[in-house]
Amino acid sequence: MKRRDFLKYIGAGVVGTGAGLAAAKIASPPGAKLIPYLIPPKDMIPGVATWYASVCRQCGAGCGILVKVLEGRAKKVEGNPLHPVNKGGLCARGQSGLQALYNPDRIVGPMKRSGDRGSGRYTPISWDEALKTVAGKLKGLSDDGNADKLWLVSSSERGHLGKLAEEFMSAYGSKNHIEYDLFQNKNLKYAGGVTVGTEDVPFYDIENTKYLLSFGADFASTWLSPVGLSHGYGQMRQGGGKKSKRGVLVQVEPRMSLTGANADKWVPARPGSEAILALAIAREILAKGYYRGSNAGAWKTLLAPYKLASASKATDVAAETISKIAYDLAKTTPSLVIGGDALSSYKDGISGQVAVNILNHLAGNIGRKGGVLINPERLLKAGKRAILKNQKMTRFIDASLAGNAKALIIDNTNPVFTIPKSSKIMQAIREVSFVVSFATFIDESSAMSDIILPTNTFYEDWGDDFTEPGVGMGVATIMQPAVAPVFKTKSRGDIYIALAKAQGGKLADKFDHGTFNKYLKKSWKKLYNSNKAMANSALTFTDFWNRLLENGGWWPKSTPRTRTRNVSVASVKNYLPKAAAKFEGDKSSYPLNLLVYPSTGMYDGRGANSPWLQEFPDTMTAVVWGSWVEINPKTAEKLKIKEGDTVSVSTPSGSIELPAHIYAAIRPDTIAIPIGQGHTQYGRIAKDRGANPLEILPFIEDKKSGELALNSTRASLSRKGRAKKGSDDSLVRAAANNFEYGRDYTKIISPAEFAKIGKEDV
Amino acid sequence: MSKKTKYIDPADRKTIPERIKDQLAAYRVPGYYEKFDYHWTMVIDLDRCNGCGSCTTACYAENNLPVVGKSEVGIGRHMGWLRLERYVEGEYPDVKVRFLPVMCQHCDSAPCELGCPVYATYHNQDGLNVQVYNRCVGTYTCATYCPYDVRRFNWYTYKWDTPLEQQLSPEVTIREMGIMEKCSFCIQRIRGAKDTAKDDGRRRVKDGEVSPACGQSCPTGAISFGDLNDPKSRVSILAKSKRRYNLLGDLNTRPSVIYLRRVQEPLHASAGHETGMAAAHNTIAEHGSTADTAHAIKDTHGKKTQDGGH
Repeated sequence: MKRRDFLKYIGAGVVGTGAGLAAAKIASPPGAKLIPYLIPPKDMIPGVATWYASVCRQCGAGCGILVKVLEGRAKKVEGNPLHPVNKGGLCARGQSGLQALYNPDRIVGPMKRSGDRGSGRYTPISWDEALKTVAGKLKGLSDDGNADKLWLVSSSERGHLGKLAEEFMSAYGSKNHIEYDLFQNKNLKYAGGVTVGTEDVPFYDIENTKYLLSFGADFASTWLSPVGLSHGYGQMRQGGGKKSKRGVLVQVEPRMSLTGANADKWVPARPGSEAILALAIAREILAKGYYRGSNAGAWKTLLAPYKLASASKATDVAAETISKIAYDLAKTTPSLVIGGDALSSYKDGISGQVAVNILNHLAGNIGRKGGVLINPERLLKAGKRAILKNQKMTRFIDASLAGNAKALIIDNTNPVFTIPKSSKIMQAIREVSFVVSFATFIDESSAMSDIILPTNTFYEDWGDDFTEPGVGMGVATIMQPAVAPVFKTKSRGDIYIALAKAQGGKLADKFDHGTFNKYLKKSWKKLYNSNKAMANSALTFTDFWNRLLENGGWWPKSTPRTRTRNVSVASVKNYLPKAAAKFEGDKSSYPLNLLVYPSTGMYDGRGANSPWLQEFPDTMTAVVWGSWVEINPKTAEKLKIKEGDTVSVSTPSGSIELPAHIYAAIRPDTIAIPIGQGHTQYGRIAKDRGANPLEILPFIEDKKSGELALNSTRASLSRKGRAKKGSDDSLVRAAANNFEYGRDYTKIISPAEFAKIGKEDV
Repeated sequence: MSKKTKYIDPADRKTIPERIKDQLAAYRVPGYYEKFDYHWTMVIDLDRCNGCGSCTTACYAENNLPVVGKSEVGIGRHMGWLRLERYVEGEYPDVKVRFLPVMCQHCDSAPCELGCPVYATYHNQDGLNVQVYNRCVGTYTCATYCPYDVRRFNWYTYKWDTPLEQQLSPEVTIREMGIMEKCSFCIQRIRGAKDTAKDDGRRRVKDGEVSPACGQSCPTGAISFGDLNDPKSRVSILAKSKRRYNLLGDLNTRPSVIYLRRVQEPLHASAGHETGMAAAHNTIAEHGSTADTAHAIKDTHGKKTQDGGH
């Protein structure tokens, strides 16, 4: 051995030992050795990164990711360039998943409650004891003939984990499985069912559209599939080469969202009146004879009440603007209309989404490239849990208050934080005699449980996701462990299997899968055998499975097929709004409309425990580490509120205090608060920071779709004083101000001039 | 023993300002080097950028940037190497917002490089403005000279709560108190790409083979990165765009970051710019500027705006 080589090995040895010791201290994976790299694992070369393809679960979009792993630790997450949804991009929240994995406040092992419910005080117990206790309670319940009094509230899972949980519940003998997340696009799905006959979310082909009319769809930050749709947005603007025309974006919303900031025209319609506006545009399309489809007469009669003048008055949008939008929408091909959370969060939000689909139909956009593409049937059929009426949280709340819930499993979701207090969700959970949580963090919901079974994050787990919306074709993404569990946590699937086994009898017989990984592979083999396109893509299943792990999933190579669907007059006639959406609270004591929206960083609140996301300057306001209320400068002046003042926001359901931010791009009769802060649990980074606007909302769950009407109340504002500079309650922004002072940092070119020079040929 | 100096006729002697000018001229030949090996360039298409901010977080993850906390951000010690500026103009309902990602512009004639007394920041053979942490003694001169405000100073040795430190990348040095740092165009990725090219027996890195973390994560494809010496590269094509401009181009710092104008209808001329922002100006006053009643200046669009006195 040469001297230089010897030194090299010594060096490597030292590094290896250090890392090994650190790893052993924290994780102690089975078979950990003092010098783990003496015989290094096959896929591990010190200093050379291994990339694992997986799926991001930071929101519901299901982007494909690549996790960069060095010496057994995840270092960086990037978008999977092969994945058809996000095509290599990844949002701020996706990047920050690593800080959930290595969060200092993760639950390190199973725990038993030692304080009051909600206090968050727990004592550690062993896995054996924890599983035995939970299985014992469940068995006791079913032995007493009360199996139907077990409730499962889980996050929304489109893959085999959701299927396994559903199988667990039906084998146990309970129909009470609710998949709940704050943002599940329930109104959008329901309206899809009404208009085009499928509740699967369609693919919005923003990339190829030339005129995009968006009703409060903030796809640049949180709506539906932000990375995928943003990719489309970039392509719509400057992609497609020299010959392609630049697409136009018009955004209708009372408060300018990030997407609104990018729009060519921002239309601040009166809150709640957007559906009326959409139908007035529809009527204008018919009246001017732009509509080329069948049944024009019937449509005209149906939409007759939405006259230009009255709609203009109701929506606070000039009649010329409505006519112009109608003209552009109908005369630009292809065009596209989308409706986001802001639209479907009013009372009767379904009507808004139905109106959007009517517009798409009248402009001829359904089933057209650059329009709305109906996705094919899902690769994995969604079970009963995905039926909208099964997903209503009132089912659980009512049952529990009536004494019909004896045990509750909360699996990876946080209803206590995301459901308004007025829903009595807290009382409902307190009524349940035994609550168990499968959780990664002690959040507001898991703090209510008697036993906590700690789960792996998605970087440590097996799983899959059948992305919704697809991209005009089905997309299946695989989740594989990129790193060994950092703490003594288990896969969620394994917990279900272990609980079934521990109860013995028929339940145990049905759940003889061994591990969730084996169950997953077996299920995929079934899929492979039944799906021709999958079978044709690889010779054997082993080959297919290996490619699946390598590519991060499976998707057909073909381009999306266009399926035309007609929206019929008969199907929509019962879903048209008679007037603008109503708001709780009378106008004299609550003069302002309150809008709440998911913030870019925090989403529904799950981002709040990441230091990166706390210090991520909010995209529109640059506020960090806290929450704020957005007030129009004129309104603020009237109420003598200045930037950074602490104000109290009151609604009929309660009040919160938070700092004011003067926001030029919001209607004077409206205020807006981002969702995500105001945690009372959820670890040192999130706890006691800012305020949670969901607390002061009325609890209104749509009777048909089950979506919460978040924008359904009025509010009043009053100045309370001013927090000490830099204190926790103060307003801190990463940018001193938002003005250019005429220095022309961001140069612009007008659309007319741009039309002369055209796009670059790249 | 001193060497005998060569006699120069007083008439031919240059004055000190002239000599400085010569030296600067020599320096300001693009590259300082005869020619850059690569000329790494970034093109940011502001018409694609939708301000989602994924680039900023990608930078935190890639480059081991510390999180400083609320009070520190409040006094301007945010450590982001890449910041997303948002500029608001106009009054409700005619409000225009524009986004601008700003990172180190890797100027070919960088003001920061002139100031450093210990050569901690210099121009390398690839046209990158690099920062040598081991040399830096923390005089803060470079940050004072930088017109883009992209240099970040470590006021403390920042710590990560266990086990957050397990995420830290071994490919990037962890900085300590008293060190200046800034965007490196992800030099570790560039080195990696060069190594891969070398291992493959190639002499040069191919176009599209390397991208900094920000460009890699960008959902809209607004950030392109590549070699300007290669006439066929994506950045070379984009750099010829009629929409191109350099940030603070009049300073003639020759940035390696090229922006492409956003396509946007200009705000109507006579719109009362001041009144709409009046309330918000109170904060600026707190941040130590003279905003509120400052004299109004006319900008290039001919509309009135206020001078913040920064």
